[in-house]
Amino acid sequence: MLRRNIRLRREYLYRKSLEGKERLLYEKKRKIREALEEGKPIPTELRNEEATLRQEIDLEDDYTAIPKSHIDDEYANATERDPKILLTTSRDPSAPLVQFVKELKFVFPNAERMNRGNQVISEIIESCRAHDFTDVILVHEHRGVPDGLIISHLPFGPTAYFGLLNVVTRHDIKDKKAIGKMPEAYPHLIHDNFGTKLGERTANILKHLFPVPKPDTKRIVTFANQSDYISFRHHIYEKHGGPKSVELKEIGPRFELRLYQIKLGTMDQSEAQIEWVIRPYMNTTKKRNFIGVDQKDDKRKH
Amino acid sequence: MATSIEAAVESLREIKSKEPPMWLVPKQELSQAVRAASKHLFSSLKPHSPKSPFDQLLIEGFDAEQIWQQIDLQSQPLLYTLRREVKKFEKNPEEISKLKEAIEGGKKKKVVEEKGTDDIDDDDDDDDDLDMDDDDDYDDDEEEEEKKERGREEESEREGEEMELEGEEKGGIEDKFLKIKELQEYLEEDEAKEYGLKKNKKTKTETKKKEEDTEEEEEGEDEEEEEEEDDDNDEAEEEEDELGLFDGDDEDDEDSLENARYEDFFGTKKNKGPKEKAKSRDRFEGDSGSDDEQDFDKRKDGLSTHEEELKKLQSKIEQMEKANLDPKVWTMRGEVTAAQRQKNSALEVDLDFEHNVRPAPVITEEVTASLEDLIKTRISEGLFDDVQKSRSLSSKAPRETKELDDNKSKKGLAEVYEEEFVQKTDPAAAPLSFSDELKKEASMLFKKLCLKLDALSHFHFTPKPVVEDMSIQTNVPALAMEEIAPMAVSDAAMLAPEEVFAGKGDIKEEAELTRSERKRRRANKKRKFKAEAAKRLAKKPRETTQVDSNEGKENE
Repeated sequence: MLRRNIRLRREYLYRKSLEGKERLLYEKKRKIREALEEGKPIPTELRNEEATLRQEIDLEDDYTAIPKSHIDDEYANATERDPKILLTTSRDPSAPLVQFVKELKFVFPNAERMNRGNQVISEIIESCRAHDFTDVILVHEHRGVPDGLIISHLPFGPTAYFGLLNVVTRHDIKDKKAIGKMPEAYPHLIHDNFGTKLGERTANILKHLFPVPKPDTKRIVTFANQSDYISFRHHIYEKHGGPKSVELKEIGPRFELRLYQIKLGTMDQSEAQIEWVIRPYMNTTKKRNFIGVDQKDDKRKH
Repeated sequence: MATSIEAAVESLREIKSKEPPMWLVPKQELSQAVRAASKHLFSSLKPHSPKSPFDQLLIEGFDAEQIWQQIDLQSQPLLYTLRREVKKFEKNPEEISKLKEAIEGGKKKKVVEEKGTDDIDDDDDDDDDLDMDDDDDYDDDEEEEEKKERGREEESEREGEEMELEGEEKGGIEDKFLKIKELQEYLEEDEAKEYGLKKNKKTKTETKKKEEDTEEEEEGEDEEEEEEEDDDNDEAEEEEDELGLFDGDDEDDEDSLENARYEDFFGTKKNKGPKEKAKSRDRFEGDSGSDDEQDFDKRKDGLSTHEEELKKLQSKIEQMEKANLDPKVWTMRGEVTAAQRQKNSALEVDLDFEHNVRPAPVITEEVTASLEDLIKTRISEGLFDDVQKSRSLSSKAPRETKELDDNKSKKGLAEVYEEEFVQKTDPAAAPLSFSDELKKEASMLFKKLCLKLDALSHFHFTPKPVVEDMSIQTNVPALAMEEIAPMAVSDAAMLAPEEVFAGKGDIKEEAELTRSERKRRRANKKRKFKAEAAKRLAKKPRETTQVDSNEGKENE
């Protein structure tokens, strides 16, 4: 097990090191392909290698055509299996936090909740790897109000750190009848306004927490981005009067996520490379949108 | 009048003699008696109260309330005058003696008094008018009454003094409104206020009282806007009243006026006694007269204005220097951590700094509605961002499944062992196994196909590939006909001589050759070799027929 992990890690590093060359090759192939399609002469610097590259172009399919980076590699095999999630909290959670984590367990299908006790993070990650979990989610709090969410993808995957704001839990809404039961079908996902590369990455991370749904499920989970604050909403819809009329009923907790860090290792690897971290002290942060594109007709602007 | 007085007295006595319980029950005769008595009293008092509108008390047909009103009308002003007189006598007991003299002497004083009262009455009229106006506000009334009374009292006092000093001529400047002495005193009082003169304790308390009164008076004066004359007069009276106390001092210090020194004018010592200062000030009261406001300004604590200003500046400078020497307040110190300032001191200061982060979004109804709209559109279009299942490349090759053949093995057991042995010793020579055969067959088929395709598509002919096959080829004729020959004849014998040896000419062995022939053979050999070498270098297609000639020569 240990040796297998070491070997996997070495492979991963090797592939990461090859990335530069692969990218070059990809670029060259792309140029040749363009030249061929448009009927233009092939650029002169590629004339020598043109033959071999042409051959390769002919032989490639859509899997091999795209250069894979080590980043995408993390989710390469994710689509083959359903994700398996472990939910846990920081140490000594308060009762509201425990309730919130219970709710989250129903939001993510195929999720398991575990008491934290006094386990160390590295222990948790080890045991999860051994039991073939794909993701670990840690929830933090401040005086009963959940305020932090850490999503770690397991084999070596990225760890995304979010801050939670404006949390409304199902338990807050006391009326049981109004809320109703939470269905456990695999939900459809909606991502809105994840335009930039970082946004795509975040959307990817959040997407792979859910399995492939059936096409006719009534459950919808929405991640909508507005000026770097991602809103999480959970609805059930019904189409009463024909295809165009849609009635939404909100169930489940609602909160705003705010991404502040993405690391390229798991949670226990503290020395892992940081892919992106929020920099609030920069002079232009106020003007920039890191995750999505700024909406012009913004109703949420304050 | 005397008779009326007597009658009044008598009726009063009569009333007094009645028993108290008698008063509890209203009786006609008692009331009549009382009314008569009051009428007498009224008429007796009439000469002393010039302002009363009634000559006598009207009793018939009036009820108690109205009678009371009449009495009141008369008695109020009377009371004022009486109070005033009493106070005057309180202060100046000499007056009483004078009064006595006057009374004894004749009616002169009385006349003067009456005159004085007339004068006073002129003023009183005005005051009383105003007084009538303010009947509603009883408190104000009281204040005003006090003030009026005091005013009148002061006025009368002053006028009394003036009557005493009737002989003195004040000059053309002074008249009813402008009194030089009042002016002086007012100025001094003002000065005192400005420069913070320390007065004697005794004077202090009294002045305090006076100040309160003056405040009241001033308040009352503010209310009155009609009578400015009265204001002036009243103010003058206040000041006079306040500073009237210094009159005593004045007389004492008149002697030391001649022994004035520089220090008295411009005191070098800063802590001069207040009394001395007062004295020095008062000394000049007489001298200064009306035109020395500046002198008043100069004298305060013995310092001049300039010196005072300098003193103030000095103190300011000292303060600023002290502030500069002290360590700065933490707000002025640049970057300050929590350890370098007091606890909770940042809470008191109104800090203002730019937030470079967008504030968290407030989730309003609009926001929720917009989100839900978005979701609805997506649902109706069916556009979801679900996880797509991707077809995965099989990374492992398909395992070779060994087919189990039910048929009986065609090879005998000995053959099986033979194959195994051969495989172990010489794997290349071993006959191919089953799976290999399939592969071989496949590859053979493919090669054939490729050959045909190449032949079709290429300009250069590619001959069949040579398949090296190891097989024993016996030198047998192509057509092997059965020959009917006896058994004893061997195969070698069966061959024709040409088949045994194909060659022509005279064949000689090396030993049989002559020397020249040997040389000839060697030369031929050399030639052949050279030709071949040249051919190899040139790589030209064979044109010559040298080979034939060589071949021919070789046979020899």
